[in-house]
Amino acid sequence: MLTLRRFATIAALLLTSLVGAQADLTDERILLTFIPNVQFAPFYLGIQHDVFSDAGFDVALQHLQEPEVLDLVAVGQANYGIVSGEQVILARSRGRDVVYVFEWFQQYPVALVHASDLDLSDLAALRGLRIGIPGRFGASYSGLTTLLASAGLNETEIELNEIGFNAPEVFCLGAVDAAMVYSNNEPLQIRNLAAAGECGDLNDVAVLTVASQVDLVSNGLIVNRGQLDEAPAQVARMVGALRDALQIAIDNPAAAYLASLPYVDTLPGADTLVVALTDAAAQQQDFLADDPTRSEVAASRRALAEQLSEQFDGAALAQFHVLLNSIELWDADALGFSDLASWEAMRDTLALMNLLGGELGDLDSAFSNEFLAVSDE
Amino acid sequence: MQTTGKAKEFRAGRKRQLFLRRLSPLLTILLLLLLWQAVADRQIIPRILVPPPADVYAAFTTALADGVLAKHTMTTLGEMMYGLLFGVGVGLVLGYAIAKAPLLEYVLSPIIVAFQSTPIVAYAPLLIIWFGTGPSSKVVTTAVIVFFPALVNAIVGIRSVSPPLRDLMRSLNAGPWRTFRLLELPAALPVILAGLKTSATLAVIGAVVGEFVGSGSGLGVLVIMARSQYNTPLVVVTVLTMTVIALSLYGLVALVEWRLLDWQRRAAS
Repeated sequence: MLTLRRFATIAALLLTSLVGAQADLTDERILLTFIPNVQFAPFYLGIQHDVFSDAGFDVALQHLQEPEVLDLVAVGQANYGIVSGEQVILARSRGRDVVYVFEWFQQYPVALVHASDLDLSDLAALRGLRIGIPGRFGASYSGLTTLLASAGLNETEIELNEIGFNAPEVFCLGAVDAAMVYSNNEPLQIRNLAAAGECGDLNDVAVLTVASQVDLVSNGLIVNRGQLDEAPAQVARMVGALRDALQIAIDNPAAAYLASLPYVDTLPGADTLVVALTDAAAQQQDFLADDPTRSEVAASRRALAEQLSEQFDGAALAQFHVLLNSIELWDADALGFSDLASWEAMRDTLALMNLLGGELGDLDSAFSNEFLAVSDE
Repeated sequence: MQTTGKAKEFRAGRKRQLFLRRLSPLLTILLLLLLWQAVADRQIIPRILVPPPADVYAAFTTALADGVLAKHTMTTLGEMMYGLLFGVGVGLVLGYAIAKAPLLEYVLSPIIVAFQSTPIVAYAPLLIIWFGTGPSSKVVTTAVIVFFPALVNAIVGIRSVSPPLRDLMRSLNAGPWRTFRLLELPAALPVILAGLKTSATLAVIGAVVGEFVGSGSGLGVLVIMARSQYNTPLVVVTVLTMTVIALSLYGLVALVEWRLLDWQRRAAS
């Protein structure tokens, strides 16, 4: 009887503390683009490892199309969203008052994938090529325009094919000579198809990144003006939490992959892989305790990839490699910062595409690094 | 005299009713426009989400003047027309064959029903890969979506022909072609045309879904481009254009129906 009473008391105390803890948290919805994918691992990890809750947020994630993310944040139906930089400039030129407060991708992820025997060391060789693109919109189109401008070419000097988001299949069918893709994902898919003999006589592909030509501002966290003015401290805490979650994902990709498993239904997660990644995550944690440098951490990621490749085939590790490729695009000495030059380059690209009309946009109000500084304090 | 007066009054009443009936869709549209303007003016929903009619009209005139709307509309119309011709043509021929040979129905219906019950957006990317990124894949998506109503209505229409009339044709020694021309086609026409009305409105969906998945031109592409440039008024203009196309096609089939089935109405009256 006494045991039962003690049990009931402990349960009540636990419940009270749990409810109390939940009540202290602020509900926040972060709108993401695309679909649940291992590329969003920092967000999954931020929830699973209590990074967001430690910062005072109960975060829910929702995936939408990029313009919808931006509009819903602009009208305050959600306070935070992830969009690419060019969307911020375009949307602001059409009256959406959103501010970009954290640059998640430090390198513009869009690239041109082509057969490795096609020499594009001189960009003028792009002339006359059949280039596939999802459509005349979004980051891929901005990236292609930038590449062509770097080569002194324009759209009429190539054969542009709108192929939707089917680049690996269309490329492997030989319908295009090259395709605009995300460098962390599709080249890997094409290589896997080629390795399986399902990509014609293609042996390997090369990737020409837009970032190698011009530094354009990329995907990052946006917040609406209302939230920025009314709760700047909350914004700083959210920025700090995202930076911490991103740093954990960069430092410990095995942990990031494991955190993604409950969110991404199709993510390969065989028991043997989970065991191997759990061991790797624990070992990495020990390694990180010695405070390694950024390059040492990068080397540890490469070593892990090699070690896993000896145990598992390409299909089992495909998404883990997507994560590793993504980390290369996220990693930087100072996470989250964006610089004016990359915003100016993006604005110039959009102007070149005649998307801004007469208005070139007020870049000073479009982005802010001040919340990164605040979250440091 | 009294009877004539009552008849005149009755006719006048009928005229008023007819006038009001014809006016009511316009009144509904006018009311909707006023409501829309009020919502936009009072900022009940932010203007960036629901632009006022004036902004939409401005976007319409701009898109019309620079030829953008015409270019994309013509692309979609072309895809729709070829898709309708192909999808409805195959649907009617196959529907007739199935109506005449029930064995064919047992063989084909699982495939047809499976294809029809799967949302076209799910396999549209495959059609783009199989049929290329040009207009042909959009024609196929349209044909696939308009095929089923044409097929089903052709089957129902042909099977609904009254058996005594078939017996009559047999007693007159009418061959298959004469039976088809003089009995089956006229008898099945009301049902077939009803299916054609459905197909005509679905054709817009088929073409636009194909364009959404991958295309360089068409109203689906214009929606994506306008959305990606946060030009909500142009999105509304494009959606309204799709609606007008669908309604016009529906009206066209209704007109054809009215002309073709005139004999039926006269016989009934």
